[in-house]
Amino acid sequence: MEKKLGIYSVLASLATSIVIMLLFYILAMQKVSANPAEYKSVDVYAGMVYVFILSMIVSASIWPGIIEKRLKKPRF
Amino acid sequence: MEDAIIKIKGMMCSHCEKTIYDAVMSVNGVTKASANFKKGEVKVSFDTSITDLETIKKAIASTGYEVIEEGEACPVPIKPAVIRYEAKDRGKDGGLKKTSIKITGMTCASCAQNIEKALGKIEGVVKASVNFSFEKASIEYDSAQVAPAAFENAITSLGYGVAKNEITLKIGGMHCASCASNIEKALLNTRGITSANVSFPLEQAKMVYDPEVIQISEIKKVIEGVGYTASEKTGKTDADREQRAREEEIKRQKINFIIALALAIPISLGDMGRNLGWGFVPEIFKNDYLLFILATIVMLFPGRQFFEGTYRGLKHGMTDMNLLIATGTGAAYIISAAATFLDLGEAYKHTYYDTAALLIMFIVLGRYLEALTKGKTSEAIRKLMGLAAKTARIVVNGEEKEIPVEDVKVNDIVVVRPGEKIPVDGRVVDGLTAIDESMITGESIPVEKTAGSEVIGATMNKTGMIKFQATKVGADTALSQIIKLVEDAQTRKAPIQKLADIVAGHFILAVHVLALLTFFFWFFIGYEYFDVPTTFRIMGEMATPTSPFLFSLLISITVLIISCPCAVGLATPIAIMVGTGKGAENGILIKGGEVLEKAQKLDTIVFDKTGTLTKGEPALTDVIAVKGTENEVLRAAAIAEKGSEHPLGEAILKGAKDRGIDVPDAEEFTALPGRGVEVKYGGKKVLIGTRKLMTEYGMDITPHSGRLLELEHEGKTAMLVALDNEIAGIIAVADTLKENSAEAVRELHNMGFSVAMITGDNRRTADAIAKQVGIDRVLSEVLPEDKAAEIKKLQAEGKKVAMVGDGINDAPALVQSDVGIAIGSGTDVAIESAQIVLIKNDVRDVAKSIRLSRLTLSKIKQNLFWAFFYNTVGIPIAAGILYPFTSPPFLLNPALAAAAMAASSVTVTMNTLLMKRIKLQR
Repeated sequence: MEKKLGIYSVLASLATSIVIMLLFYILAMQKVSANPAEYKSVDVYAGMVYVFILSMIVSASIWPGIIEKRLKKPRF
Repeated sequence: MEDAIIKIKGMMCSHCEKTIYDAVMSVNGVTKASANFKKGEVKVSFDTSITDLETIKKAIASTGYEVIEEGEACPVPIKPAVIRYEAKDRGKDGGLKKTSIKITGMTCASCAQNIEKALGKIEGVVKASVNFSFEKASIEYDSAQVAPAAFENAITSLGYGVAKNEITLKIGGMHCASCASNIEKALLNTRGITSANVSFPLEQAKMVYDPEVIQISEIKKVIEGVGYTASEKTGKTDADREQRAREEEIKRQKINFIIALALAIPISLGDMGRNLGWGFVPEIFKNDYLLFILATIVMLFPGRQFFEGTYRGLKHGMTDMNLLIATGTGAAYIISAAATFLDLGEAYKHTYYDTAALLIMFIVLGRYLEALTKGKTSEAIRKLMGLAAKTARIVVNGEEKEIPVEDVKVNDIVVVRPGEKIPVDGRVVDGLTAIDESMITGESIPVEKTAGSEVIGATMNKTGMIKFQATKVGADTALSQIIKLVEDAQTRKAPIQKLADIVAGHFILAVHVLALLTFFFWFFIGYEYFDVPTTFRIMGEMATPTSPFLFSLLISITVLIISCPCAVGLATPIAIMVGTGKGAENGILIKGGEVLEKAQKLDTIVFDKTGTLTKGEPALTDVIAVKGTENEVLRAAAIAEKGSEHPLGEAILKGAKDRGIDVPDAEEFTALPGRGVEVKYGGKKVLIGTRKLMTEYGMDITPHSGRLLELEHEGKTAMLVALDNEIAGIIAVADTLKENSAEAVRELHNMGFSVAMITGDNRRTADAIAKQVGIDRVLSEVLPEDKAAEIKKLQAEGKKVAMVGDGINDAPALVQSDVGIAIGSGTDVAIESAQIVLIKNDVRDVAKSIRLSRLTLSKIKQNLFWAFFYNTVGIPIAAGILYPFTSPPFLLNPALAAAAMAASSVTVTMNTLLMKRIKLQR
């Protein structure tokens, strides 16, 4: 169960972080096209990395608890 | 009316007595009841026209105890293990779990059935079976509905015990309150561990575990599995080891700080010099590659601990303070390195090596100061541990032999010379000396000791050489017990800490969410909306153009850095540690944080009379001569009482000796039970006794009745003395007040308490004593077994009651009261039952202990206020909340945020340490 929990948690965290990062990317690209003088693509890519790291930290703290609960729930 | 004795199975303690007493008294028609757990019975007086024995038995059975019918064997009560449950009543995680509990006190198969039934009734229990032969309960339960602590409560409430082992492990590698919370979570999720309490300041984990389910080595693995170290405490050497570990930590952080400081100065000069165009900074310092090398050294050496800690935590799915620091400093370092080696455009020419280096420097400084101050908070325990003597000189075959103190056995004869420490507890068999007991009792005046006197280990022999017989050695000595009590108190959490624990437990996650939201806000909204580039160009603060990413990143980093879960997590335990330590230094032992909170709400203090307010032994108070002089009357009385073993007689004899009166033996002695004594001396008949005795001998006592009544109104026992059938005088004896009782009561009155006295004495005597000390309320003619009921009555009036007592008979009342305070000279049972123990035999310490509780709780509140205030104000400021409202716009520098963060936990510690300076006397 421990192994399952670990794998599911990593997968869920990765998925969440990628979704948040993509959301950032989409919104940021709109900014780049709307205000190219201030928003450069390097801001977008650097921002994506930072957002991904923070999202991973947050989601890796949340998902294991949720998944553990689900795995332990008895299936009567 | 009818009296009956009902035998009961399963009563184990005074709590059981109280449960049975309450159940019996709740039956209409029962006029009186007294339960005795030692005898396993309850005595009941009831009105047969209203109720019958069967109804009373049913009431007892409804509490879970079993009534033994005549002829049935009575179980032998086995003392249950004392367990305190810290686990929450309800589980969190959910899912079916299995656990087994070792039970003590079962005597037959029906005991097993009772327990099984009780366990089965608990909501969330799927299956419970109790095996009588193995003395074991196996329980399958839904952890979302119930926690193992509930099973143990159910078992103990039935009067059985749960065999559990308690262990305290030293924990290494904790850096903040989140670490403690991580370890606690990991332990509580481990099968076989019922409760776990991890103290960050003490660096200890205390847990109750089932040795049949989990071994100590496995517990250590659990702790090591989440990235910390665990080792067993080994008694005496702990003090030295802790000291060494603390010194090593101080040294490590000092070196880290020196390196960080030495490098942060040139990095800051170079980075800021280039960005702000400082001409006095040599060009070499402004070189990006040199700055990169210097910053890398900072990250690799002083900063490595944060990254290692983060890695250890993340590996086990745990987050702590290190993660916040690593994310903040790592982001500043990586973006600067990228700007150094990659061409990211004009806006990315700016580097933040100074931010990374200063962050690490300030945080390491904080850790260094914290290590320094943390040592001071546990000083009390270290001092206590350091008091113990290392060696003892014992008499073996008539010769003195020096041996390590651990090798002293009970009954060994120990020799102690002037200036030496008493190695263990014992009783003096030879010699006369004065012993300084201040280190244990706080009493500054040396106490005289002669043959028969008790001596306490770790106290200092001052004047003479003594030989004493060891009575308590090793872990049983008073010092060891005190250390254990204080350590237990320091690891036990106060209810107020729950809030802090919840906050600290989710703090890191919440801060990362805030940092992410802050980043999003400034990147997408704030940067454009507040026209950041223009504002900064006008301010002329930025030599190079900024970018939305860098701007948002710096603010986000500041949020991560300024947040300080340490201050929140430290606020309560550190105050309890210093408070209980200060108490121990003053001879006041407070058993945990919960007591501190309860002590705040008290409004009534109830004193037991005998032995608490009074000395507990009668003394001669008055001699009134009717014929001859006072000394002649006293001499006659003393001669008469010399052969008597009655306490009143002993008091008269002692009174005479104290006045220097020679008391020869009487020629004939006749005890007249219930009336007095008749002796012959020097051809004269001497009588001492009651009015009745004198009347029997044909004497007229009417002229003396007024004086006798007067003395009796003062709570004294008055006796008439007659010589050759003529009244010669009156002698009065009374249990005298302790020197400080009146002052203690006065002090409590001044503090706003209502003070009551509880005693078995008659109303007149009790009132007399109460009047002398100034007590407002007297609960007289209370039988020992009814003391708890009287406390309950006061509580029913809405009063919050503290009971102060010393005897075995006070134990139920001490348990019943909101805060039980035992006088240290009292019995072990009283000390066990109480929540505060006053080591000195001084009732003035009651006020002191309450003052200490108030002081400690106020420190906890101050600390929590500052910790929450700091974070709730600091985080929004770091997130740039002042930016739109200030001109020029205000943004917090990340380095300043790091300094503030370091200062916050140091401030909490320093504020708590101020307690040490406050005197507990008025």
